Amino acid sequence: MLPIKRQLRSLPLKNYVIRALSTSRPSLHFPIDKKTSTSQDEMDHFNQLASTWWDVDGPQRILHKMNLLRMDFIQETLRNSIDLNQDVESPDEEIYIPGYNIDLLPKPIAEQIIAEQELKREELVKSQPKLKALDIGCGGGILSESLARLKQIESVKGVDLSTDVLEAAKLHQRLDPSLHDKLQYRLSAVEDISKDEQFDIITMFEMLEHVNYPNEVLKSALGHIKPGGWLFISTINRDFISWFTTIFMGEHVLKIVPVGTHHLDKYINETELQDWFKEQKDFKVANSKGCIYLPFNGWSFTDSPNVGNFFMAIQRTK
Amino acid sequence: MSLIFKRALATAKSVVPPVKTVDVLIIGGGPAGLTLGASLKNSSITKDLKIELVEGFNLDPVKKFYDETPEHFTNRVVSLTPQTINFLEKTGSWKFIKQDRIQPYDSIVVTEGLSDAKIEFDHHSMATMVENVNIQSSLYQRIKELEQESELKSEDFGLNLRDNTRVEQITKDETNQWPVVHLSTGEQIKTRLLVGADGFNSPVRKFSGIESRGWFYNRFGVVATLKLEFPVFKYAGWQRFLPTGPIALLPLPDDNATLVWSQTVENSEMLTKIDSEIFINLINAAFVLEDVDMQFYYKQLNKGETEGLIEDIQWRINHATQKYSDEQLEENFPLKVVSIEENSRARFPLKLSHADSYVSERIALVGDAAHTTHPLAGQGLNMGQMDVQSLVGAIEKGMQRGLDIGNPLVLEPYWADRYPENHLLLGVVDKLHKLYSIRSEPIVALRSFGLKAVNSMSLLKDFMIGKVSGK
Ligand SMILES: Cc1cc2nc3c(=O)[nH]c(=O)nc-3n(C[C@H](O)[C@H](O)[C@H](O)COP(=O)(O)OP(=O)(O)OC[C@H]3O[C@@H](n4cnc5c(N)ncnc54)[C@H](O)[C@@H]3O)c2cc1C
Ligand SMILES: C[S@@+](CC[C@H](N)C(=O)[O-])C[C@H]1O[C@@H](n2cnc3c(N)ncnc32)[C@H](O)[C@@H]1O
Repeated sequence: MLPIKRQLRSLPLKNYVIRALSTSRPSLHFPIDKKTSTSQDEMDHFNQLASTWWDVDGPQRILHKMNLLRMDFIQETLRNSIDLNQDVESPDEEIYIPGYNIDLLPKPIAEQIIAEQELKREELVKSQPKLKALDIGCGGGILSESLARLKQIESVKGVDLSTDVLEAAKLHQRLDPSLHDKLQYRLSAVEDISKDEQFDIITMFEMLEHVNYPNEVLKSALGHIKPGGWLFISTINRDFISWFTTIFMGEHVLKIVPVGTHHLDKYINETELQDWFKEQKDFKVANSKGCIYLPFNGWSFTDSPNVGNFFMAIQRTK
Repeated sequence: MSLIFKRALATAKSVVPPVKTVDVLIIGGGPAGLTLGASLKNSSITKDLKIELVEGFNLDPVKKFYDETPEHFTNRVVSLTPQTINFLEKTGSWKFIKQDRIQPYDSIVVTEGLSDAKIEFDHHSMATMVENVNIQSSLYQRIKELEQESELKSEDFGLNLRDNTRVEQITKDETNQWPVVHLSTGEQIKTRLLVGADGFNSPVRKFSGIESRGWFYNRFGVVATLKLEFPVFKYAGWQRFLPTGPIALLPLPDDNATLVWSQTVENSEMLTKIDSEIFINLINAAFVLEDVDMQFYYKQLNKGETEGLIEDIQWRINHATQKYSDEQLEENFPLKVVSIEENSRARFPLKLSHADSYVSERIALVGDAAHTTHPLAGQGLNMGQMDVQSLVGAIEKGMQRGLDIGNPLVLEPYWADRYPENHLLLGVVDKLHKLYSIRSEPIVALRSFGLKAVNSMSLLKDFMIGKVSGK
């Protein structure tokens, strides 16, 4: 058998979506005009990227590096949502949470408070049931694998419309024995996921800017979130900064992302998403942050989610 | 019985031994390797990792040290910075240090052999002298304590320590490219992350193809455990820069002291062999007499001529010091050495080396495997401790992000954090060594001016103290 890395490199770059159309297997069958589906040239583009998806120094390096920040975003959101004193019966047992910036305290005291909170948080996370996650538009599985390795996650399901990238995802999953029974990939559109499949966490990273009807995709996703569960999104604002950084600099000047990755007209503004979620019953935007890529520095958070790339966390309240 | 276990048994019957798979395989049970093992098990984020530590030598002296502490001091003693001690406290191992065998000191007096320049660095608890084996033992005890606290069976605890086992070969797994380490016992261990804490000759570095640059100084460090004429009143380190290399006498509790004498190859061999009475007298001479006198003694001794030598040394020392008052003597020279611990003399080749990188896919190097330095500033082991602290931080961060800890994106921040600082320190120490090995007059004048100037310029001095005490 060939080493899996070599197999990854020699993946056939055929267009599997067309093949999928001609097959009679129902799970592979989705008409191209389906609302959430993505245009043919988008799919061609991702199929071609499959073989180098996991090369951290290759065309997807920037996505690999962004993954560091989005995992921080997810972890931070989940951590902040934990009520440390939820199970407390008397004030004595309460964990002290100062109402001001903890860094203002003398260092040893601040360290002690943080350590206590950390311990309590760990206890609570341990006592809670583990979480089920769905990664929509999982691509080669960069985020799916990261989620699956977290202790508090029970299982991850990754779905995508590109057979080639899913193949790359599956091959790569096999390299790490710790992922074997925590992660599964399926070729599926969001609306084809059975209604009774409910998740604690749904992620949709760097995906919305590639679809034709984002609100339909979002609607389908919301239908799979358990009460109290989460939707995490990242996408790009439709503004000059985004065009300049992702298309002009990213694709054409620095060539750090393949040409043809982005289409400015598909970008969605953060404020548009905020407004859209206000209209959805039982959902609230819990966290939103901008992020920016600087050559030599990698990705870092910004305070302006309405410029360039941004992350958003939405929680189902009831 | 699980299926996997059954299969392991089945293959055990055939010639091919079963391959064990772990998350972290640490090669080397020196200070760096043991600290890494203990810290990973001490961290709430990384404590569930399956870790294996392999050491080529017998660790019995380390394992026994805590309960059956030897009477005498061992000859491998290092100076620890407050930063290192702080890190070991956080790891939870410092409480297992035998406190009656360590010696904090507040000042170091530096002089040079070709002029009367002198500089004194003063700083409360500047550094602490600790035997290597005391450090290793404290880490071993901490690992045992963590195992007990985990209430897991030892095979489930996830830190397996094996000594008397050498790494013979490292290959890559055919299917997923993970490193596979072949041991002298015939066993194989496959690992997600392979850490080389395996010292200067690092087999892990060689396997990874990471280049290391540097040179031998053509000098050996001669070490010995000594007794002084009285218990010390004020604990200080003494260091004198001689053209052959620096000699340092560093304090241990009471009337004990430890020696590090950097010497030429020929002299170092002679020093480990000569009669101990002569050896002691030479140490005393080295802190007082002029270079020409020392050169004369080396010549005689290398020829094997010892007659009248001790008398000559003592006469010259008396002659050179009689002009000083008792107070001045105390200020300018260490207490006299009166005896030496039997069999405590040894010598080690001195070198500078720095690996081009500390990481590559599924590989990380820490401690002497990544860099070695001249001992004149007492930094080698301390640098390794800071490496470990940084690497553990990088692994913690990687795990919180759900990454494979062998991924270069997890490991690169460790290298970026440590390489520049280590590089700077290696450079400074190397320049110091070279500057003081020169006999030419103008340079001697220049550098003794330098020493005097340093003593009076408090700003620069504070900076230098910062380097030695790791601030
Ligand atoms: C004379 C002298 C004085 C010094 N003084 C100081 C000082 O004052 N302060 C200071 O900070 N530092 C000092 N140092 C430096 C310090 O001793 C070293 O930096 C430190 O010991 C390095 O620790 P380590 O764990 O990285 O490597 P090592 O201590 O070299 O440990 C490496 C381990 O790996 C094992 N190993 C190697 N190959 C294999 C293999 N194939 N299979 C299995 N195991 C293997 C070895 O057996 C060894 O135990 C001094 C050094 C010398 C020589
Ligand atoms: C830029 S990649 C991002 C991959 C992954 N989410 C990540 O961030 O690592 C976008 C992915 O979305 C997939 N995609 C595009 N439209 C989709 C759709 N309608 N349904 C599911 N996946 C889609 C593409 O095949 C591609 O793999």
